Amino acid sequence: MLEFENVGLRFRGGAGVQGLTFAVTAGEIVALVGLNGAGKTTLMRLALGMLRADHGTVTLHGSLMAELPASRWREVGAMVDAPLAYPELTVRQNLTVARLLRGTDPRLVDDAIARWQLGPVVDRRFRHLSLGNQQRVGLAAALQHEPRLIVLDEPSNALDPASVIVLREHLAERARDGAAILVSSHHLDEVARIADRILVMNAGRLIGGLDPATPDLERTFFARVLEDDEHRGCTP
Amino acid sequence: MNAPIRVEALKLSRSLVGVIGTLALVLGTVALLCGITLSLAGGQPDLVAKMGPTATRDWAGLLSAAAQITAAGGLIGFGTVLAWLFGREFADRTISGLFALPVGRARIALAKIVVYLIWVVAVSLVLGLALLLLGSLFGYGSPDAEAWAGLGRQWALGMLTGAIAMPVAWVVTLTRSLLAGVGCVIGLVVVTQVAVLAGAGAAMPLAAPALWAMSRGTEVGVAQLAVALICAAAFVALTCASWARLQLNR
Repeated sequence: MLEFENVGLRFRGGAGVQGLTFAVTAGEIVALVGLNGAGKTTLMRLALGMLRADHGTVTLHGSLMAELPASRWREVGAMVDAPLAYPELTVRQNLTVARLLRGTDPRLVDDAIARWQLGPVVDRRFRHLSLGNQQRVGLAAALQHEPRLIVLDEPSNALDPASVIVLREHLAERARDGAAILVSSHHLDEVARIADRILVMNAGRLIGGLDPATPDLERTFFARVLEDDEHRGCTP
Repeated sequence: MNAPIRVEALKLSRSLVGVIGTLALVLGTVALLCGITLSLAGGQPDLVAKMGPTATRDWAGLLSAAAQITAAGGLIGFGTVLAWLFGREFADRTISGLFALPVGRARIALAKIVVYLIWVVAVSLVLGLALLLLGSLFGYGSPDAEAWAGLGRQWALGMLTGAIAMPVAWVVTLTRSLLAGVGCVIGLVVVTQVAVLAGAGAAMPLAAPALWAMSRGTEVGVAQLAVALICAAAFVALTCASWARLQLNR
């Protein structure tokens, strides 16, 4: 569904990502974890065409990114950086905007409002919502069309515990329906609950995987990052 | 193409910028014209000297003053709204949501321009109607053939002024900055004024529409107006191409 083959990108300032090789297959939830600046968002931007790789190939739905027919993007749902939501529009209008741009069924908007419990704020302008509600609107806009490939950067940010459960159940449901899901998070306990696999990223590279069932996931994660830093000679 | 146009129309119609831009262009022009007319009625010699041959309290004077206001003020108003249409996606960080969609970014950019041009046509029409009402209130009587032609030129000037602001969309896209777009608007106004003062107005696509309207079509020909439109179309193409190739690498 989503495949990276030796993907690299170097920014003008020197930072970037290199040697990224991994795949997310149908029905699988893959979590991406790493410290701030590790390159998680850059990887996700590369997966969504927001950045073009210097070398390597990104394949979506079996097609190279550059050759992917525009209509296949309808099967992708993503939220990276910020929600696709405009402050002057109401919640319903924002969900309608997302629906129109994907050319999907109007009834999906009502379904999304119900799923994400947005009824009480549906006619409120986005700018007047709390951060948590803004995040829920962004997730609803990204996922309401039941995409087959989902890419979410820190989706549980600002969500209350009830909304985190809605997110977790929704992603599990989409995976059961055969969607491939790539999600980044700082919350290792949360990641352990939803992910089938965990990819660890450090200094712009994928440095291995973690088993979500690992008893002390946090300790193992830090040990892996420290080991990589020492290997690169970056530890003071 | 229908969906992105509907989306952009919804965003502009619900935004404070769209409302304020419309009011500023229509009511601002009307207020200035009222002030100028009242000052002329009061016989202020300074103003009469500054206004030159247009300092008359009739349809010709009213339309000439309106053309002068539209040439500078219209460019600022239209250009600012155009800068916002493009720059807000970067300022609000919604640009990332415009990737990974079945609608390409070039089509989204084109939809923004289509909605902007529809708005420009509507504002220009409303301004023309407001001038008609204003002239009637000032007691200039029913417009004669020359006044109707002047009103037509005023409407066309509004639309042409909206079109020549098009470089703003490209500058905002290149810089990803709303403020840079506003700076570009100011730059366009300055360049236009300098070109007119230097006597190169007719040859300058930015100044040609205003000179055409103010000279009642005598100093600028159709070919020079066509060059202005071709330049606008070139910037539309550049903007759409830049959106198609856009990367979030800054």
